[in-house]
Amino acid sequence: MSHFRSHTPQPAYRQSLQLKSACDFAAVRETAQFARAWLSSHQVTAAELDQWELVLVEAGNNAVEHAPESAGKLPLVFEFSVGETEVEARITDHTPGFELPEQIDLPDLESEGGRGLFLIKSLTDHSAYLRSAGENQLILRKRRSVPVHPAAPDALALQRQLAESEIAVNEMSEELASSYESLVAMFRYSAELGTNADLPEFAGRLLADLLSLTETDAAVLRLFQGSRLETFLVLPVESQPRLPSLEDLDMSRSVELEAVKTREDVWLDRTHPLSPADPLRAFPGALTGLVHAFGSGVHQLGTVTLIRTRNDMPLRSAQVNILHTLIDFLAIQIVNTRLLDERTQSRITRRELEIGANIQRSLLPVSLPSSSPFELAASCTSAREVGGDFYDVLRVSNEGLLLIIADVMGKGVPAALFAAVLRTAVRSMPDLFTNPAALLSAVNRTLCEDLSRVDMFVTVRAVFLDTHRHRLMSASAGHFPLLYCQPDATLGSVAADSGLPLGIDPGAEYAQSITLFPAGAVALLYTDGITESQDPSGNMFGMERLQKLLPALVSGNVPATKLRDKLLVALDAYRSGVPPTDDQTFLVLRHAL
Amino acid sequence: MKILTPTPQTLEVTGLIELGAANAGQVRDAIRAALKPSHTTLNLDLSTVTFLDSSGLGTLISLHKSLRAQNGAVRLIKPAANVSQILELTRLHRVFEIVNS
Repeated sequence: MSHFRSHTPQPAYRQSLQLKSACDFAAVRETAQFARAWLSSHQVTAAELDQWELVLVEAGNNAVEHAPESAGKLPLVFEFSVGETEVEARITDHTPGFELPEQIDLPDLESEGGRGLFLIKSLTDHSAYLRSAGENQLILRKRRSVPVHPAAPDALALQRQLAESEIAVNEMSEELASSYESLVAMFRYSAELGTNADLPEFAGRLLADLLSLTETDAAVLRLFQGSRLETFLVLPVESQPRLPSLEDLDMSRSVELEAVKTREDVWLDRTHPLSPADPLRAFPGALTGLVHAFGSGVHQLGTVTLIRTRNDMPLRSAQVNILHTLIDFLAIQIVNTRLLDERTQSRITRRELEIGANIQRSLLPVSLPSSSPFELAASCTSAREVGGDFYDVLRVSNEGLLLIIADVMGKGVPAALFAAVLRTAVRSMPDLFTNPAALLSAVNRTLCEDLSRVDMFVTVRAVFLDTHRHRLMSASAGHFPLLYCQPDATLGSVAADSGLPLGIDPGAEYAQSITLFPAGAVALLYTDGITESQDPSGNMFGMERLQKLLPALVSGNVPATKLRDKLLVALDAYRSGVPPTDDQTFLVLRHAL
Repeated sequence: MKILTPTPQTLEVTGLIELGAANAGQVRDAIRAALKPSHTTLNLDLSTVTFLDSSGLGTLISLHKSLRAQNGAVRLIKPAANVSQILELTRLHRVFEIVNS
């Protein structure tokens, strides 16, 4: 499972989550467990959580079983949307798909298979399977037995948490049932879950309560920051010793690391004394105590240590139960806080990509100039994550047209901004439009410092079409060869004009090639999104295929727009439904017969 | 997972946590390998099983057939509420003896 996104749009109550799962049984299982934890944080009842978990596993496994070998590595996408009265899941697979019958009957009682779809249908209120080329989507909806209301999510969270606390309480000993204070503390924390409490403040109060409820004298909370276990809080604040870090220690010298490693509580007493190197030695007179490692699902979050110095009585079982219950609340709160951070971060990233896409779209010419008998056609297909493809066509008074195609390395706003700067720089040098090599040198001098400062570079091809002398003058800054077809459909490519990309060397010089462009000839300017198009097995379209394809497309007196469409069809057929991973941009120039 | 033989006629499986697509085949093969012609009862302790999917159901059916071939039966011991629900939904509680005490 990878790639986590989640966001909360403003109106009404609606939460969503997207998870990607590798196409195998174990990954599907893990994804379903993660989804369960997320749904649980949105007050879905325990019974429904069981049902969703099963339904998601069945849906995912079904896709894994149907996936052809070639599509095996394409991930499954699980999207969730939780509303006030309903939960919806959409599972996207890349398989040939199957028929989802309106009505599914149970197989023969002794059949060993055939129950997956039945379970999916039985445990949801609505299911539909949308099939399309190479990609299918299973849509599942299920009403919530306990609706939530946007105005009062906390009240419902409280209700659910109370129910859970009740179970926890029932499991506890008689002794606890009579402990009024413990119950009050648990209800209070369960009421706070899901609110945007400040984590240090929440943890501070919770540990202070733990000290009083368990009759202990000091508490240490350490949380994982990445793979390091770091001190988050030490109580009591007023008399806390300087606590050395756990760095460079192993489990033989730190009981906290021992608890993490063994995933079991470690008791401190005379029979299990602290190692002389143990950081907890910083507490003078530590007699007894307990280290509890805690986590959420399979993820370890940290450790809590309670220390008793007033006497050497070990903690009673009821006190250990209180510790476990309150720390479970803390774990939920930590996960909630982290989800919130991650959500904010992903919202910023997505917004950035949107802004980048808008800038990039605004840079492309609204219409292409024509100069009969020369025809132009262009295509720019944006990938989901915006790259920095860009093209421009400028009329050069009566002399011809300047064609520019560029690929800015990087994506998002920085790439789009450099595309904008490049466009402006080119347009500010009309004197050099008829001399592409000189144009690239001059543009490079202008942009090089800015580009190299941010470690970016741009590949550009500039082609001047001389409409009087019927020839192309071309220069390249690290860009792909210009492909062109002569009227007899034999292929030629301009090879001797490659130079450094813009942004590498401020003094870069560029060579210029001249090619005759008689009636019937066709030229293709393109970016790597074309040659790097992938089929479902991940093979690239490649230069060779493009070189073979072009003469085949050109044969016959085909207009430029038609050529563009034929190339798009060929690329679509090659990808067979795999979405493009990069922008696909190309320009077709044709000298009509 | 542990496979025990408390009596010459009984095979007992305990300690299963999940029975799903990721391990159903393995579990089935391991139990079949331990099954002897003398066994007439297979006690599957489901009390520790927290997750059961349709592949897991397939394994239960497959074991049921193996036992019946030697005039025996599979008994499912103490399934949790969510597991019971799936057995009932798929009507398999009619096939297996379910022991709740």
